[in-house]
Amino acid sequence: MDVFETIKGRRSIRKFKSKAVERELTEKLLTAACWAPSGGNIQPWKFIVVEDRTTLDMVRKISPGYFGETPLAILVCADKMRAYKVGGAMGRDYLSIADCAMATENIVLAAYALGLGTCIIKSFSHAAMKEILEIPEGVEPELLVVVGYPDAPPAPPRRIPLKENTYLNKFGQSFQPAGA
Amino acid sequence: MTKAGNTGNEYLFELALFLATSARNCIDEPPLYGPFRLLDALSRLADFPEHDESLDKDPFLKEVKAFVDEKKFLVTSDVEGFTQAADELVERFAKELKRRSARNRNKGKTGSLHAK
Repeated sequence: MDVFETIKGRRSIRKFKSKAVERELTEKLLTAACWAPSGGNIQPWKFIVVEDRTTLDMVRKISPGYFGETPLAILVCADKMRAYKVGGAMGRDYLSIADCAMATENIVLAAYALGLGTCIIKSFSHAAMKEILEIPEGVEPELLVVVGYPDAPPAPPRRIPLKENTYLNKFGQSFQPAGA
Repeated sequence: MTKAGNTGNEYLFELALFLATSARNCIDEPPLYGPFRLLDALSRLADFPEHDESLDKDPFLKEVKAFVDEKKFLVTSDVEGFTQAADELVERFAKELKRRSARNRNKGKTGSLHAK
């Protein structure tokens, strides 16, 4: 699938089929995540793959932003200890979050290319997630990606056009897209 | 939340957990997530009779649940549409409140006649 088609076609899915996600596909998603850019090559990410029904049900119940039922969720965590050791305060406070976001983007784009649907969730209880998944001190849950086969992809939401958010050479100077 | 086989008590716990996690998250989340979570809670609350046989099925609540589920995600793409939907929801409730109040008043009158 063409990369632009993938980027523009991906949607946040909130209704899924009950079909399980094959382990081989899950591994592809995680490999894509690990090839994300990483500031200072810290690679601060840790992934928790949740497939167990009971655990998945608990994760769903402590996540108000989790809609629908999915056979799989991947929690993207930031290893703050590693980020600080390799990248100092900037690594711990900023790069680790940016890196996890980029890894997450790779997951959802790869998923779309493989015919899977995803939704990125930040609306979960941080404290409850740490308790349920037994996440140690120094590792922080950043984003939850729920994964499954999509049932009802929504219409694309409006995007702010380039001419409203992009400038040429200096802030405030109009950037005119070639097609404008 | 709508998992079949949940008893009323389990469903009540799940709903309470949803409210607790939502309350904590709303401290940090975008302000519009507050009304969004309340509407989602309404939708989940309307499912209660499905899990507790002692409660009557309420056609009005079922109808507003469908309306809420159709409109709630507008919060991420169309704030004006979300606001209009919330307004319409309150109007529906107000009309239903009047209808139920009138019904109860008539019941009361009937009751007092019988008492005489």
